[in-house]
Amino acid sequence: MAFSKIKPPVSVSVLILFALIMISLQLMSSATQESSELSAMYSWLLVVNGLGSVVLLGLVGANIYSLVKQLKKREAGSRLTTRMVSLFVLLALAPATIVFYFSMQFLHQGIDSWFNVEMDRAMEDALELSQSSLDQRMRWHLKQTQQLTQQLANSSETQAGLEMEILREQSGASEMTLFSRQGRIIASSNINPGDMLPSLPDEHIWLQLKQHADFAALAPVREDSLMIRIIVTVPARESEYLQALYPVPVRIADLADSVEFAFVRYQKMNFLRDSLKLSFSLALSLVLLMSLLAAIWVAFISIRNIVAPVKELVKGTQAVASGQYDQQLPVTAQDDLGFLVESFNEMTLRIARAHFETKMAGFEVENQRAYLETILANLTAGVISFDADYRIRTANQAAYRIFRIHVNQFVGHTFLELAEAHPELVEPLKSIQRLLEQADEIWQQRIAFLGANGRQELLCRGTPLFSQEGRRVGAVVVFDDVTDLIQAQKNAAWGEVARRLAHEIKNPLTPIQLSAERLQHKLASKLEATDAEMLQRSTRTIVQQVEAMKEMVDDFSEYAKPSKKQTADIDLPALVQEVLALYVLKSGVKFSADYETGPLIIKGDPVNIRQVLHNLIKNALEAIDVQGRIEINVHRVQKNNTDFIEISLYDDGPGIKEEQIEQIFEPYVTTKAKGTGLGLAIVKKIIEEHGGAIWVDASRKVGAGFIIQLPAI
Amino acid sequence: MFCRAALLSLFWLLIPCSGFCAEFSALVTDVTVSKQNQQYVISADIDYPLSTEAKLALKNGVPLYWILQIKVLQQRSWVWNKTLQAREIRYRIQYNALLNMYRVRNEDSGEISNFSSLSAALGLMSALRNLPVIDEAEIDPEQSYQIAIKATFDRDALPLPLRPIAYTNPQWFLSSDWTLWPLVK
Repeated sequence: MAFSKIKPPVSVSVLILFALIMISLQLMSSATQESSELSAMYSWLLVVNGLGSVVLLGLVGANIYSLVKQLKKREAGSRLTTRMVSLFVLLALAPATIVFYFSMQFLHQGIDSWFNVEMDRAMEDALELSQSSLDQRMRWHLKQTQQLTQQLANSSETQAGLEMEILREQSGASEMTLFSRQGRIIASSNINPGDMLPSLPDEHIWLQLKQHADFAALAPVREDSLMIRIIVTVPARESEYLQALYPVPVRIADLADSVEFAFVRYQKMNFLRDSLKLSFSLALSLVLLMSLLAAIWVAFISIRNIVAPVKELVKGTQAVASGQYDQQLPVTAQDDLGFLVESFNEMTLRIARAHFETKMAGFEVENQRAYLETILANLTAGVISFDADYRIRTANQAAYRIFRIHVNQFVGHTFLELAEAHPELVEPLKSIQRLLEQADEIWQQRIAFLGANGRQELLCRGTPLFSQEGRRVGAVVVFDDVTDLIQAQKNAAWGEVARRLAHEIKNPLTPIQLSAERLQHKLASKLEATDAEMLQRSTRTIVQQVEAMKEMVDDFSEYAKPSKKQTADIDLPALVQEVLALYVLKSGVKFSADYETGPLIIKGDPVNIRQVLHNLIKNALEAIDVQGRIEINVHRVQKNNTDFIEISLYDDGPGIKEEQIEQIFEPYVTTKAKGTGLGLAIVKKIIEEHGGAIWVDASRKVGAGFIIQLPAI
Repeated sequence: MFCRAALLSLFWLLIPCSGFCAEFSALVTDVTVSKQNQQYVISADIDYPLSTEAKLALKNGVPLYWILQIKVLQQRSWVWNKTLQAREIRYRIQYNALLNMYRVRNEDSGEISNFSSLSAALGLMSALRNLPVIDEAEIDPEQSYQIAIKATFDRDALPLPLRPIAYTNPQWFLSSDWTLWPLVK
């Protein structure tokens, strides 16, 4: 079952390994058979198998080392692998050890059972029996040969040669030789006439012959045949020996050989008993060792393959936990784990999709918020939202622009805190704060105050915000700078007044003047001197006053008349210099002018701008005494990312009273004894028609100061 | 324990024997080189001091094999010596229980000798007499030559169970080292 979980190349290599191990072990097992051709290779096979075990041990060791390292690092799946491997090793080792133990027992007992005392005794007895049998036969042949020598006792050497054949045939010997003590052959006879050279005794036999008169021994002629060699001294011929070689009957020789073979084999086995045990134990140990090591190694591979998806799952889960939802694990098997991995993949897919959708929804919300913010930012009306504690939560650009407070000073503060930091805004801020705190429903209020740019008028609308439970959670205030609107309304009203005045008043003035002049012309000659003088004085007064009224009406009509601008590029320092030149010579007043270097050019009607300068300088000259001083500065300033040319005009006269500052630019407002009160109104109108602004510099403590800002080009 | 025993036996199997195997090793002595009939012949004595274990095995019917290796080497300065001639004589010695004899067989010639004592049997193997090794014509008078003799105990011819022991037990380290002898022209 485990193999099905192994990848094909691994399983193939494992199968090959097992096959190799099996072949090697089989070869070793075959080699243990003494008769096997592999017997000669036994030592090499033992070494090869030993090396195989070492290699397997190394593999298992490397796997264990790697596992321990993984355990120390607390890698995913390492503990599961350890548990499974331990379990496998325990399960494999326990029965294998038991089998090994009992196999060894049986092996040793089995080998020991081959040998016993009775068998030893039987073997020795059999051998002794063989030896006795041969010995008896030998003694009999000795006796026989000794008897034969009697027949040779009186024979000469020549006769002996002739008798030798007969004696050999009588005795049944295969060879019979008579030789001298010096080894000289006197006579010889062989059963095989071809063998001319008789077999002579070697030096050992000679030595024995010298010690004993006779010699009798078994002699292996060839490796597999036995002969009985009898050498006896010939009586009466002391210096001669008769040697007879008797063949041992084939049957007896075979039996003796068989007994000897069995005895030797038994002896050998008995001697090799311990070696045999050791040898078998070694082979068995090697088989067990290799099998176990191979099994453990394969277990490592298999378990690693089984645990791999679990490991991936753990890693995947950790990744999902850390917010990486795009985890897709490879499905390696179609089993339960494969199903688990597939489920995990589906789960992460869904989570990823849900996460994506949430993210997209977030983006959508963010986009909506940004869109709303953009709309709010681009509204000309200021919009400020407050929390329950009346701290500003959000404010749009227009709010910053209207109040002229920097963005980072706005959010998180209350209006009261802002009022402390900006004294010029104390009045509107406190008013709005009060309205916020008091109002329970939508409110609207027009608030006028004197800001840095002069008088400003705000139209504020606010509403408290309530939660679903009816708790007050904040408020929203929307406000517009309606200064310009109101000014325009006022201007329009004054224009209408002026137009009507011009129309209604100017028309009767000429008949009045003409009638007065006619009265004076007709009646002067008819009246007495005193009356005529009074008439003339009255008529002059009427004419003067009518002239004055005409002038006034002209001024009004001038004010009311929509300007027809002839626009051109105006170099302001040059224009200012030109206008100043007219006054420097006429008055004793000291003028000082300061111009910023670089071009200070605006687009406008030079006639109107010149009139502005004239009106302002005239006003200043009227305000100061002869020794006074007038200061004109022309600078370039930047406001709301737009370049303006700023003209500031200061005098050291008595200045403008604070209560008059608000209305100073309105028509018919003057501090002077004479004048129409339209001068500054016209100035303001011209400046505004040029897209600029004019205000009284309230920070000026000595004399009066006016600041004009006109868009630069 | 089992693993350790297996490893230990393997370790003993693998380590080469050096110093401690000299006790029962065969020893080549008294090498004489002479010329006979245009041939160089050698005579040598080889001692076989058999260990108790080897004697016991022999007595119990285990045949022992020795290979007597004889080489004629041409000495060269820069490279290894060149083998001109190599001869091997394989002996088998076995005890015959029936006849109570030791039988020595020259495996090459098939010649068998029986001896009533072990020392006599070993005596046959010991005495190498007038063995022609190389023709005189093959010898360059300008060069120098050596005769190398070694008596190798054939452990792989032992019965199988004895072999692992023969490779690890010094009692079975019976081979001699190579003995070099100058060939005097």
